[in-house]
Amino acid sequence: MVETFTPAVCGSKRRQRLALAGFAVGAVAASALVGAALGAVGALLGTQLAFLVAALALLAAAREAGIVRLPLPQLRRQVPERWRAELPLPVWSVGYGIGLGLGFVTFQPVATFWVACGAAVALGKPLAAGLCFAAYGAGRALMTAWPRHGQPDPTAAVESLARRRRLLLLGNVLALLVCAGLLAAAPAAGAAIQIQTAGAGLDPAAAWTVLGRARMGSGSSSVLLEPRGGTPITIDGAAAPAVDGGLLAYEDGQGVKVIDWRTGDLVARVDGQVAKPALDWPLLGFVRTDSTYKRLVVADYTDRASPVEHVITRISAGNDLGRPSLAGGRIAWHKLTATSSTIYAQRLATGRRSVVARSRVLVLANPSITLTRIVWVRQSSRACVLRMRSWASSTVRGIYRTTGSTRLLWTTALVGRTAYVTRWSLRTGASTLVRVNF
Amino acid sequence: MAAAVRPEESEAFHFCGHLWTTGSCPSPMGWPRIDRHGYPLRPGDGRPIDNLGRLVNAEGFAIDSAGERLVGPDGEPLPRAPRTRLCEEWIRERYGLSSHTQGSWYRCCGNQIRKLVDCCSRSRRRINGDASLVGYCWNGNRVFCVMYYDSGLSC
Repeated sequence: MVETFTPAVCGSKRRQRLALAGFAVGAVAASALVGAALGAVGALLGTQLAFLVAALALLAAAREAGIVRLPLPQLRRQVPERWRAELPLPVWSVGYGIGLGLGFVTFQPVATFWVACGAAVALGKPLAAGLCFAAYGAGRALMTAWPRHGQPDPTAAVESLARRRRLLLLGNVLALLVCAGLLAAAPAAGAAIQIQTAGAGLDPAAAWTVLGRARMGSGSSSVLLEPRGGTPITIDGAAAPAVDGGLLAYEDGQGVKVIDWRTGDLVARVDGQVAKPALDWPLLGFVRTDSTYKRLVVADYTDRASPVEHVITRISAGNDLGRPSLAGGRIAWHKLTATSSTIYAQRLATGRRSVVARSRVLVLANPSITLTRIVWVRQSSRACVLRMRSWASSTVRGIYRTTGSTRLLWTTALVGRTAYVTRWSLRTGASTLVRVNF
Repeated sequence: MAAAVRPEESEAFHFCGHLWTTGSCPSPMGWPRIDRHGYPLRPGDGRPIDNLGRLVNAEGFAIDSAGERLVGPDGEPLPRAPRTRLCEEWIRERYGLSSHTQGSWYRCCGNQIRKLVDCCSRSRRRINGDASLVGYCWNGNRVFCVMYYDSGLSC
């Protein structure tokens, strides 16, 4: 590749460095993007895949050791030669970097790349997977620069590497075996659940790059929005935040508002006795209360000038509907009465409603949902447990627990494999957000 | 003669008046004290509690000892929690049994008449895990767990 940038007796060191830099940028960026995308897919799937990928790694090791013969999925192509003639150097060097950084659009000599893809999906964390894959892109860039380093003839360096091919393949087999062992051990090691406090506040609202919460102080509440890597934003007189990308919904003294939190522009408002917004734009959910009933309403703002409201359910005013959650074409809510508590989920397109959990003994409350999962709080006289279930499975897991009758769990939020829950003291009223990575 | 017929204070097995080995029915605060309809009461003073063990008012909302409604971290009054019968609802949900309050006997405890109540089901095992007895249950049922109701009548 380095000879492609500066063919013999043609081109300066400056040209070479420029091309190498462009190639490195393209390779690292493309591979990071692939890793992040695979991690996002894993987060959406929400299934424990570590064992499956461990088996894949073992199979790949067997292939690389020559024990089994398996074709690899690949495009037997090379970077387009004609780009060098038709495009400027910075463009085609970056393009070459992207092509090789993507990994799957060119020749694949070994199976390790596909095992790495499986591991990224199993990890289920876009940022971490993106960083790991960026190392792959950096490695490809390094292999482009290395042959030229300290060598008058870069082809000699490549040939010396080729002579050590058997050793390299053996190293690859060992690396795959180690990966298989680590992947198989990961679930048992309890690597899944990590607990962290995330500061004072209540009513968490979470999106991929922003965390919102309500805070109580001096008899009034405010909403704090913390964009990742950005400046926190405070909205006084607001409560019960819900966030969807660049939009924030909250309740205040007049009703419910939806704003673009980056600009502060008002996007929608519902006045009156409405509260507890949920947001999956252009859908806005909220609870409307009158003297007789509480109604769970979903307003469709596809036509902002004429939003269409649909009543999902109603209960008598003495009972509790809680804070609804909207995501992926579903809405979830709880119903608390003197005789039972129930977690409901309903598909908005079909109106099909299901009971996620029900009890005549315990309190089940405050669900949050994503496209793939639901969490909620289960409370008894002795303990509170944050429960989690995938839509694709009926298995329910407890992912966080408090004990005692005074340290309680309250409202929740969920994004990917991260749940947030309000933990509060019955004695003092003080509350903290807890982050649970599972 | 008067001394011979004076009612004796009942020795407790695990609560006063309970002389057998059947375990208590599950309850919010450990002791299965109930009102006349089978709903949970606070063991110490007989005030109504919900399934979370919180004192409740007549509407079922959680209150503090002064009668003020409890509030959540947002400053708003807490919603009602379920308050259900220890035998008919709790046992049904936790053990999957069709259970009924049947059979009772009386003892003098703390100078007042205590009614001890069987929660009965078809199960051949008691809540403690050992074989169940018919006791005061009827209609083919057997004792699963026990509860008690303090009448307040002097003895």
